[in-house]
Amino acid sequence: MRLFLFNKRYFICLIIGFLPCGWGASFDASVTHWAYVTPERPKFPDLNANNPIDHFIIERLREEGMQLSRLATPEKQLRRVYLDLIGRPPQPGEAHSFLSNSTDIEFNAIVDRLLASPQYGEKWARRWLDLARYADSNGFQADQLRDSWAYRDWVIESFNSGMPLDRFTIEQLAGDLLPQSTISQKIATGFHRTPVCNVEAGVHPESNRINQVIDRVNTTGTVFLGTTFECAQCHDHKYDPISMKEYYQLFAFFNNTPLEVKNTSGVTWDFYGPKLDLPLSSFKMAKMNSLKNEVKTSELEKKNIKRSLHIEQKEWEAEILDALKDAPKWEVFDVGTFSTTGGSSYTINQDQSVLVHGENPDSSTYSIIIKDAKLDRISSVRLEALLDVSMKKNGPGRNFGVPENPNFVLNEFSLKVNGRKVVFSNAKASFSQEKFDVLGAIDNDVKSGWAINPQFGKAHQAVFTLKQNLLLEKGSILEFKLVQHHGEGRTIGRLRLSGIDGEYFKSNLPTEIQSILLMKNRSDKQVKALAEYYASTHPRLKEIESRLADLKKQIDDIDPETTLIMSEMEMPRETKVMMRGNYLTPGDKVSPATPAILHAFDKSLPKDRLGLARWLVDPENPLTSRVFVNRWWSAFMGRGIVRTQEDFGTQGEMPTHPELLDWLAIELVQKGWSMKHIHKLIVTSHTYRQSSIITKSHLNKDPENRLYARASRVRMSAEMIRDSALATSGLLETKMFGPPVYPPQPKGIWRHVGRNAPKFLPTEDENRFRRAVYVVWRRGAPYASFVNFDAPDRGACVVERPRTNTPLQALTLLNDQAFVEMGLAFAARILQESELVNDEQRIQFAFRVALARNAKQVEVDYLKVLLTERENELIKNPKDIDALLSDAKWIPFTSSNPEGIAKWFTVANILLNLDEAITKG
Amino acid sequence: MTSQYYLKETRREFLKYTGTGIGALGLASAFNNNLYASTTSADSVSSIKPHFVPKAKNVIYIHLVGGPSHLELFDHKPELIKRDGQKCPDHMFKGKQLAFIRDHPKLLGTRFKYNKYGQGGLELSEHLPLMGKMADHLAVVKTVRTEQFNHAPAQLFLHTGFERFGRPGIGSWISYGLGTENCDLPSYVVLITGSVAGAGNSLWGSGFLPTLHQGVEFRSQGDPVLFLSNPKGISKKNRRDIISGINFLNETALADIGDPEIATRIAQYELAYRMQASVPELMSINSENSSTLEAYGANPGNKSFANNCLLARRLVERGVRFVQLFDQGWDHHSGLFGSIPKKARQLDRPVAALIADLRERGLLDETLIVIGAEFGRTPMLQGLSNNRAANNIGRDHHKEAYSMVFAGGGIRGGTSYGETDELGYQAVESPVHVHDINATILHQLGLNHERLTFKYQGRKFRLTDVHGEIVNGILT
Repeated sequence: MRLFLFNKRYFICLIIGFLPCGWGASFDASVTHWAYVTPERPKFPDLNANNPIDHFIIERLREEGMQLSRLATPEKQLRRVYLDLIGRPPQPGEAHSFLSNSTDIEFNAIVDRLLASPQYGEKWARRWLDLARYADSNGFQADQLRDSWAYRDWVIESFNSGMPLDRFTIEQLAGDLLPQSTISQKIATGFHRTPVCNVEAGVHPESNRINQVIDRVNTTGTVFLGTTFECAQCHDHKYDPISMKEYYQLFAFFNNTPLEVKNTSGVTWDFYGPKLDLPLSSFKMAKMNSLKNEVKTSELEKKNIKRSLHIEQKEWEAEILDALKDAPKWEVFDVGTFSTTGGSSYTINQDQSVLVHGENPDSSTYSIIIKDAKLDRISSVRLEALLDVSMKKNGPGRNFGVPENPNFVLNEFSLKVNGRKVVFSNAKASFSQEKFDVLGAIDNDVKSGWAINPQFGKAHQAVFTLKQNLLLEKGSILEFKLVQHHGEGRTIGRLRLSGIDGEYFKSNLPTEIQSILLMKNRSDKQVKALAEYYASTHPRLKEIESRLADLKKQIDDIDPETTLIMSEMEMPRETKVMMRGNYLTPGDKVSPATPAILHAFDKSLPKDRLGLARWLVDPENPLTSRVFVNRWWSAFMGRGIVRTQEDFGTQGEMPTHPELLDWLAIELVQKGWSMKHIHKLIVTSHTYRQSSIITKSHLNKDPENRLYARASRVRMSAEMIRDSALATSGLLETKMFGPPVYPPQPKGIWRHVGRNAPKFLPTEDENRFRRAVYVVWRRGAPYASFVNFDAPDRGACVVERPRTNTPLQALTLLNDQAFVEMGLAFAARILQESELVNDEQRIQFAFRVALARNAKQVEVDYLKVLLTERENELIKNPKDIDALLSDAKWIPFTSSNPEGIAKWFTVANILLNLDEAITKG
Repeated sequence: MTSQYYLKETRREFLKYTGTGIGALGLASAFNNNLYASTTSADSVSSIKPHFVPKAKNVIYIHLVGGPSHLELFDHKPELIKRDGQKCPDHMFKGKQLAFIRDHPKLLGTRFKYNKYGQGGLELSEHLPLMGKMADHLAVVKTVRTEQFNHAPAQLFLHTGFERFGRPGIGSWISYGLGTENCDLPSYVVLITGSVAGAGNSLWGSGFLPTLHQGVEFRSQGDPVLFLSNPKGISKKNRRDIISGINFLNETALADIGDPEIATRIAQYELAYRMQASVPELMSINSENSSTLEAYGANPGNKSFANNCLLARRLVERGVRFVQLFDQGWDHHSGLFGSIPKKARQLDRPVAALIADLRERGLLDETLIVIGAEFGRTPMLQGLSNNRAANNIGRDHHKEAYSMVFAGGGIRGGTSYGETDELGYQAVESPVHVHDINATILHQLGLNHERLTFKYQGRKFRLTDVHGEIVNGILT
């Protein structure tokens, strides 16, 4: 094909393009479609123009007997290039040197400044994020929020830093597969973690996954190759030379990432998949450091207390030992008879504990009869739940429902003496589970009861105090009843009963501590156990311990932010052709490969996403560089050189300026894939800087402006409209990056079905006034004013948004709370300028701020009349002033002049609504 | 002249068409406006007409979100009742994809009676007595089949012919094909009761069609149309002054620059101003007489399906092409026998009143009413245990066969179309695919579903993909 001279190639294609509709089902192998041939740098004779772009445009115009228009006014050039490069109009004072000295040198210097501005990346990210179908939610039912804004920030930063576009491509498609990939390279792979994901109950995860892979294949084709692969999903492509088999060969490159939903219960699914922890934000880092400092201080105090603790402990030991001398002792009851309703076996041990074993029924009631209590008087009884190896974790419960939790629930504990019921006044336990306090065992309510989760593997005891001391005559029979019917075997596995005559609490030390205390010679282990016990009773230490636990929890709760990334499974999946595009009817097996019509896939490349990415930015690739420059051209000039930006195939339109397209594509690759270089070339051309005035001759010869004899007027995007109005109002908050923001929108727009629906709560700080690129993007209900200005739902890749002109847009700019706030702030800004002495000057200032030009006399006169009318109206209805300003409570006004603001809102509102204010002209 | 609302339809659009040889098909009224006449070749295009003489001009499309049980409402299956509690035959379970049911389920017969209504003896549930009185206007298609069994994908599939995001819905296609007859209102209006359906606002988004064909939601709380009312403290006079000021300055710019887009914008501001009065008037049903309100069961100020049915009539009366109602709450995985009578009562009276009201006003012949859902319910019982209490009984999602109801514009009343098997599982006679339904709706409006296309990403797209057959059996 290279044998053809450049123009001839296009000529042939042109003929093909004119073939009648319906052609295209077959391909003549001898004629390759222009877009599949690697571009060659067109030659052009000595330059009549300073900028090569102008050369191609002028040559083409000459053929039609046309010429470029004169340059636009300096004001218009300035506004245009500000909007195109940083997405907002210039403000008074900015770049005014160009207005007085409008030379090329001055203009170039401004362009360099704008290209270096951090707002450049914020402006250009919007278009890329449409392609990347970036959003902050899953889409579909429920449409829950997801975190991948770090990817959005990565795009902004990459554009700002001038990352070469080959690297930009490789990192997004396969950053995770680069050797020793960095955090930033992994974040970049968020590009392909943006597809929608359905997590409604009853969804089939494999069909979800297949849809996501299909989306990745199709998006890759559209974004990097300007080619629609979609048709080849179900059959060989009708028009373009891509077979169904080739489609699934591309599919195979993307088929090795893990499932992105997780089964939570039954048929319920949650969004899932590889995530990356981001470095902590400075705010979180500061909080973390302050918490850690507090931990240090508390640890130090703890250490100091402990240092002097042994002295206090000595005093305490003496006190206790003294008390113990006279203290009553627990008398263990000898078991007379034991029985259970559950039919279990039991053994009475030597220590008079009863071990229950064998049959483990749901519930069981134990009866223990004591025939000789060995005491004359009883004031309290004690129930011990002891450990035994026969139970999980040694018990003390026999629960089989939750195997790791050997719990018991003692629903009722009662005692009859000689057949008469004894009344308990109090109960205390070594530990009670939350909502299962031991008092529940003596409240005559069979639903409540005592349990000990999570303190398993530990003996427990409960002491039940009698309302009146019990005087026992010889031969008295004591009958204990333990009702345990919580279910699933929540019964005590080994128990022992004792009684005491007198105040029990003094000796209510844990048994082992008490015995250690009474020893003369203690082992090291025992000394340690005693010290630990004492420390655990120290009030200040207790406080510190609980504070430390709290701090630790707070530190643990500072989760790093996360972002979604791609990651490859160790075992690749097998890919098969899907008959009729249906995964349930697999066909032949295929392995990764690229379409034969395009340049060869270098044998040295790995057959994975990384290889695919490198193949995409191979200089031999006839498409990627052309597709990139064509999209930028469209952004600057209002339409692509190839009008069908998303389709460079045989059904797409022919380029209007094929040589210019190829020249730019090669320039891009040769200048290190630099986007800023191409942008500078375009905006410094005469073609870009010329006037947009439409003459009769333009309308006759080229109504659509396909040949660029004038600059195009293009309505701004939803985002640019917001950002420009914010800049005009003076409210624009330039803070960059981070989680999405919530500027005001009408209530009731987020009201989807499904679990965990997020709520839209408007931000009440400076985040309210941040640029549009940071506004939360919920697919089921994108930001309302953006929708009215043609923003997509970002459910799928969008190359070019429509540009409509509807009454809903008028209503949005007139009445949306966000724009009303901006209008009020703009009014205040006009009044704030102290050097403006009259309304005429104020109107002139307002025009310079909003439209970057001076007002014409007729405009000034008209607005002055309106201002007088409004002033009179407000004098009659002063309440309107408060009403209007009630919407302004979040605006940080520096001066207060409510009458003035209410009056000047009329002018502010008008200027923000002008066609000129929302058009790049 | 025709719609100001449509002024916008870009000449870019037009040239895209003629440039690729598809012709001027489906470009509605866009080019009838003389604002464009001097600037494009549009004036050479005569007024766009439907492909053939239409039976209906407008559509009221009621979507019962969640998928009501056809077996409780429209498709009487005595054999299923007889075999209630038996294990379902293998072919209804083995190898099938079901959303919720995982174990071999039992059959579930309805506990409701069916009655015969009208001259044709159309069978309907005992819970739809008032619709029964309208039976001679109704056609019930019992064999609708879809391809998706989860809500959001099935909703997208029904409305856009495709189970994923990015394609226009039937309302947008019709708006694109026919435009509107009212210059003060959008051609496609959406009314919602309950929360928004699973697929979200995309259900009435315009996909790849120009965004002016997207549905505009008229809300029953807050501004009926987003951003409709003036900010607090802005008087009517001040608003008029502001719009006059905007348009004065825009006219100045138009004179300087000559861009016809500016002329369009001027017209749109005037239209916005008129909408500020006309929409609240439209949405206020206070002006309806009490017998009408009572017939629908509508209450001014309420948020109800009945109110929305009444609003639907007011909208088509004013020339709105496509009115879409969504009513949430038909996803009866449990509580089936308790919920159906309640929901059916909410549906029955307003729908019956709507048909009667349109007929009295001579609008029924030109208005096609569609009552549908994303899918139906299984003849099998869904529940953890097969013998739980009545309030746990439900049915799973079912895509093989379910019922949709049609009335008005060119529909042969008293028709029962298609037969499902004795258990109501799949079609045994005259199966109808969702694509066929969409082809039929377009057909009634005079649009050939194979010729209503839009070129996008190198391909001509249509609502019915490469499928779709007209369901002639329900047409007059």
